Amino acid sequence: MFSRRNLSLAAGMAAAVALTAGALIASTATASVGAQPGDPAPGFTAMNSYGEQVSLADFAGKTVVLEWTNDGCPFVRKHYTRPPGNMQALQADAAANDVVWLTVISSATGKQGYADGDRANQLTEDRHAAPAHVILDPSGTLGRLYDAKTTPHMFIVAPDGVLAYQGAIDSEASASSGDIEGATNYVSAALASLAAGESVDPASTKPYGCSVKY
Amino acid sequence: MRLAVCLAAAFGLVLAALPARAEPVDGGHATVELVSEREAALPGETVYAALKMDLDKGWHVYWRNAGDAGLPPQVLVQPDSDVPAGNFGDIVWPLPHILPVVEGEIMDYGYDDQVVLPFPVTIPEDAVGPVTLDVIADYLICEDTCVPETAHVRLRLDTDRAEPDVRDGDLIARWIARSHVDFPGEARIDRSKSPWTLSLRLDGGFGKVDSVRFFPYSHEISHPASQPVERGRHGATLLLTPSGLGDVSGPLEGVVVIETEGGGRAGYAISASEGAALPDTSGLGPVREAMGVSPFRLAFLALIGGLILNLMPCVLPVLSMKAFGMVSAVSSGHAGEVRRHGLWYTAGVLVSFAALAAIVVALRAATGPTTLGFQLQNAPTVAVLALIMFAVGLWLMGMFELGSSLQNLGSGLANREGDVGAFFTGILAAVVGAPCVGPFLGAGLGAVMNQPAVTVFAFFLAMGLGLALPFLLLSYVPGLHRLLPRPGKWMETLKQFLAFPMFLTAAWLLKVLGDLAGSGAVAWTAAGAALLAFAAWVWKREGALPRSLAGLAILAGLFVPLERAMAPAPALGSSTAYAAKYEAEPWSRDLVAQRVAEGRPVFIDFTASWCATCQVNKATTLKSEAVHEFFTANDVAFMVADFTRKDPAIAAELARHQRAGVPMYLWYPAGSSEPHVLPEILTQGLVTGLPVTP
Repeated sequence: MFSRRNLSLAAGMAAAVALTAGALIASTATASVGAQPGDPAPGFTAMNSYGEQVSLADFAGKTVVLEWTNDGCPFVRKHYTRPPGNMQALQADAAANDVVWLTVISSATGKQGYADGDRANQLTEDRHAAPAHVILDPSGTLGRLYDAKTTPHMFIVAPDGVLAYQGAIDSEASASSGDIEGATNYVSAALASLAAGESVDPASTKPYGCSVKY
Repeated sequence: MRLAVCLAAAFGLVLAALPARAEPVDGGHATVELVSEREAALPGETVYAALKMDLDKGWHVYWRNAGDAGLPPQVLVQPDSDVPAGNFGDIVWPLPHILPVVEGEIMDYGYDDQVVLPFPVTIPEDAVGPVTLDVIADYLICEDTCVPETAHVRLRLDTDRAEPDVRDGDLIARWIARSHVDFPGEARIDRSKSPWTLSLRLDGGFGKVDSVRFFPYSHEISHPASQPVERGRHGATLLLTPSGLGDVSGPLEGVVVIETEGGGRAGYAISASEGAALPDTSGLGPVREAMGVSPFRLAFLALIGGLILNLMPCVLPVLSMKAFGMVSAVSSGHAGEVRRHGLWYTAGVLVSFAALAAIVVALRAATGPTTLGFQLQNAPTVAVLALIMFAVGLWLMGMFELGSSLQNLGSGLANREGDVGAFFTGILAAVVGAPCVGPFLGAGLGAVMNQPAVTVFAFFLAMGLGLALPFLLLSYVPGLHRLLPRPGKWMETLKQFLAFPMFLTAAWLLKVLGDLAGSGAVAWTAAGAALLAFAAWVWKREGALPRSLAGLAILAGLFVPLERAMAPAPALGSSTAYAAKYEAEPWSRDLVAQRVAEGRPVFIDFTASWCATCQVNKATTLKSEAVHEFFTANDVAFMVADFTRKDPAIAAELARHQRAGVPMYLWYPAGSSEPHVLPEILTQGLVTGLPVTP
């Protein structure tokens, strides 16, 4: 005979076993390689810093830049520090040329660079930044969808929805703003190629920076 | 007053005698120091200097390829440096460790705790008086967050003589020994389909290997992806996931790191050209514990281990006591209560084992994931483990009693009636069982130590379930208790027998210790073991004096071996390191004359364990396959003159060739009594191109 107590104990143990097994199965999932240039860019709908829904589909027919950021990361600071204000200049250029610039914050709650809507808007103001939207991704869903590894990590989606570029912002992997001058800026080069109807080269580079704080 | 003057004078003397050692510089999260294998070097000489970086706990710096994020440290030679940037060679990178930032998603390569980055420096030909090396160490250091730091470090070297810095030379030599060597076999990469197949062919295979991992110089492969390995009779194959980055037309270059049983690491630089997999590099199944044994197999083994625990003299009495109580309960018609007790007992055991797992996981988190996996590389840890194994053996032999008060407290709780009593009996069985777990847990723990936390928990819970299972079964099938072995003398015999596996384990650990820290540390650890045995013996005598003697003996028995094991190991033991390749003879002038008279060419290696340049030449050239073949083909007599301890005969020979120190390499072509003095930095081409006849 099982008493009620017996049953609850047995159920508890069964639950513990099931949880352990589940965790084991989950931990064996393999690494994804993420979106590659030439493939259709993964579609998404996410929340911006004003609490509005933003979808990639909203910008069909336009070039879209995705910039992963973390304001505490020295590599991000390198490109935001003024002068020269490298990132801000790219954003302003994009806005002037009808290119949609999405800044994405994938830092998890409590991790370096995490921002709620107010903090994100304050950062935009303080840094004199000009993105079309700042997307809040504390769960890391969007970051993992694109396999964003570093801050900064740049992605460019062509007007036809194909991923045109992924990788570093420029050719000098360093945290010193003195290295910006003299570096090849892959993002402005890719945007210029897209505007001229030419193929993007290089289409894929190794991003450099801090790890994304998932 | 006179004392003060004497002290001041002595202090002054000490100051004057101190070498011009540069002060370590605190860069923020790392203490950086510029060190050299020499206190003094002659103009034109090439010596090894190094950045010695002591990192704050939890922080790390990166390998030459940092992986997904991060940057490698750089040595920036300053314009004021007496030795210009052109005289600095490339960093000899020690083998990296994997630094998983986000499991399965972001992977970095680097170092934590301490890293020494050696590089060759050539003293300018025109140097007069002391020269100062003036560099900035520019490095990115990360914990959860990253900070770029710089440390401006300097080092002064005298140039009027050649004199080793034994302490730093030893350090640099040990770190150079942790770098890679050229792969003596063949490597091929098949990039025709994803995943790529990297095949590594080495005659005789890699031996007993725990894991194989390829660290690329560039980013052609996904860093976080697992690299399934298969062994073959003559090598291994790895499956690599391409990243879609970089130029994939040239050879794939990087370092293959092979971890062997006992925590040893070896690294081979490979340049794999495109081609189908080499023969005999697969077919023997995965590497032992390659990317983790199946957690289910581990859990099964743990379950068996837990079952065996029931036979331990520390557990069986508890079990019997309860079993006998159960018989009476069942006979008086309380079968339902007995079943409930069985479940509560199981819960008690599982809670205890879960707590044990939590402690293990917490300890691992506190000491850092990359260090604990290689604890058998840490000499003091190995010495203490050997002593603990020995002490557990003594306890199993019955040399002393342990934890009886703890067991009594537990019994008090366990004797309480009802469910609470059953629950605490479960905890008691786990607690008193703990000392007996040793032989099983030791092996198992080693296997799960590098596994994710869930596996550690699964392992411990399975072992707990194994321990609880017989009682649980008994409570549901009451007739079974008749099959339970009766407690008796056989238990004590079994316990004593189990002492011998412990002693054998201690012997194996001593062998590991010998490889790490030399025979001195082994002797001191054996002496420590004798002190522990003495303590156990003297403890049995009544009275304060024997007790305090025992306490002293325990302290000394643990402390002295620990302290001795911390002394730096002789780097790649001088002549013994060649044993596998050559019949190296100890050098003497008479022996040279004799070999020359026999008409054989003679090669003499004047070396020392603290000489970093010597270790580099040994690794890159003297131990290489090409040089070995050249020496064998020409019947070269190979001699080693070990200058680790100053030897007047060797010093005289060095002076005869206008050399103040090692390395020095002499080459006597066959029949020639006058040697060629070779350059200090050897290459394979240089040695294999030596004239065999004068």
